[in-house]
Amino acid sequence: MNNENIIEIKNLIKSYDLGGIVALDQINLEIKKGEFVSIMGPSGSGKSTLLNMIGALDQANEGSIKVAGYDLMENKDFSSFRSKEIGFIFQLHNLIPNLTASENVQIPMLQTTSSDEEMINRAAELLKSVNLGNRLDQVPTKLSGGERQRIAIARALVNHPSIILADEPTGALDSKMGDIILELLREIHKKEDVTLILVTHEDYVAKSADRIISMMDGKIIS
Amino acid sequence: MKFRSLIIRNIFRNKSRSFLAILGIAIGAAAILGLGLVTDGLAASTQQALTAGAADFSVIPASFGQGPGGSGGGFGTNQSTTSGFSTEQVINQSTVDSIQQMSGVASAAGVLRSRIVLNGTQQPLTMLGINSQNLAMDNVQLTNGSTFTNSNEIILGRTAASGLNKTIGDELTISNQTFKIVGIYQTGDFMSDRGAIVSLTTLQNLTNTTGVSMILVKASNGTSADSLSSKIEQTYPNQLTTSKSLSGFNRMNNGIQTIESGSWAVTLIALLIGGVMVVATMMKSVSDRTREIGVLKAVGWDKRRILRLIIGESMILAAIGTFIGLIIGLGIAEVLTSSNILHGIQLAFSGNLLLRAVGVALFLGIVGGLYPAYRASRLSPTEALRYE
Repeated sequence: MNNENIIEIKNLIKSYDLGGIVALDQINLEIKKGEFVSIMGPSGSGKSTLLNMIGALDQANEGSIKVAGYDLMENKDFSSFRSKEIGFIFQLHNLIPNLTASENVQIPMLQTTSSDEEMINRAAELLKSVNLGNRLDQVPTKLSGGERQRIAIARALVNHPSIILADEPTGALDSKMGDIILELLREIHKKEDVTLILVTHEDYVAKSADRIISMMDGKIIS
Repeated sequence: MKFRSLIIRNIFRNKSRSFLAILGIAIGAAAILGLGLVTDGLAASTQQALTAGAADFSVIPASFGQGPGGSGGGFGTNQSTTSGFSTEQVINQSTVDSIQQMSGVASAAGVLRSRIVLNGTQQPLTMLGINSQNLAMDNVQLTNGSTFTNSNEIILGRTAASGLNKTIGDELTISNQTFKIVGIYQTGDFMSDRGAIVSLTTLQNLTNTTGVSMILVKASNGTSADSLSSKIEQTYPNQLTTSKSLSGFNRMNNGIQTIESGSWAVTLIALLIGGVMVVATMMKSVSDRTREIGVLKAVGWDKRRILRLIIGESMILAAIGTFIGLIIGLGIAEVLTSSNILHGIQLAFSGNLLLRAVGVALFLGIVGGLYPAYRASRLSPTEALRYE
């Protein structure tokens, strides 16, 4: 971790139904490059909405948000930003069922490289690092929940992102498997030198981070 | 992993859905090709029948083309009936010789046409009387045997031989005269292939006539067939006309155009069904994969790549459907002709028709995939990821 901010959010507001529902209310947040931050809060507190703003999956109504040098308030397509800078891990792994583990990991690379060999080697390297080196050609339906989530982690890392956004990555797993995934994320954070932002509603998961941000009703409360 | 292999594998994820889309396109392509083969064949056969084969044009009595209100009263009143023969005979033999002498005429051949109902049959047999050296002018091609050399020999059209169950060496009795069948011919004209040909003198003797029904004319090199036909019409005003000015020809042409329009209407309906099936299939495919498309966007895929994915899938579905449709179209047309349901019509296969079938079906597939692809590319990633 260094002192350079990779994320700078000022007075960010996100509302739905013409302002009727305020999902994010005057959010101010700075996250340093290489930091491991967990965003905690009950359901509906706005933590996933905030994660979506940081990943440019959605756009705020007011305020400013700068991530890895990109001004996300600009009115443009941020697919290139997501491809280069962001790695997403979802609660439900969201793998493509008819593709093998290796092919699922290669999916983001179809946007960034045309070399088949490079894609295959990178996927194999990452799957090996998440202890799935012997499952390269298995389709997700034949793998356990924990194994599927490890494939999703490998997929998030495939384009060397600077930020990993994990939305309840252990939410669909039992506690034992959840611990394994959490440990794996900690290892990756150290080894890959990425900024890790993890959304959770579980205390013990949040506590594994360097910093905990608590949210309630669309506001950061601590 | 190659992008194209992802497209191909997506098609086989839901086989029944893909089958429906392929079926839709296949019906469209089969309709274009099958109906096109038949209608083009019908048009070609009829055209051939009316333009007298290898001759540049045919000369017939002017009354033939004037219809029921004309001076001659049309087809029927120009016929004479002798010994069971119904014969079209109105041009004197001397007129054939005169036209042969005209400058610009390479050759003129008199043809007598008559019809007779043979014992044990219901369909009349069309008999042509023409000298054997002029057979090529009527586009007659022997497929078996040889041509007639005397008044006791006859050649039969392919369809007539099949209908009468006769072959070379068999005998055929017409109006108490027995002929030996020495050849089988085809012309590509479905009417002529249902007939029989003897020498002109033989038919004239059989029907007790001296004239001819029409004169086949070939223009000499350097002479325009159009100007020669005008010249003949001017030389014999109100007596002779040429095939190009026949009202019957125009009527037949209108008939062919009507058939072609009907064929296109059926084809368009088939294509519409195919198009709707492709759109419905791809819409369902996109809807079923909404969450997946959200993930693809989240991992960095841009709108163009999503568009290419969905359009690529619909293009491959269209290509498979087109290929299957062409085979089905060819198969159905072949079965219809070989089983004699389309009596005597030769299929007119052409590159143009093939291109039309392939082009329209592929176009349909691409257009069918455009809207679903557009919808997919415009999906909001957050909404797509929330989709259950």
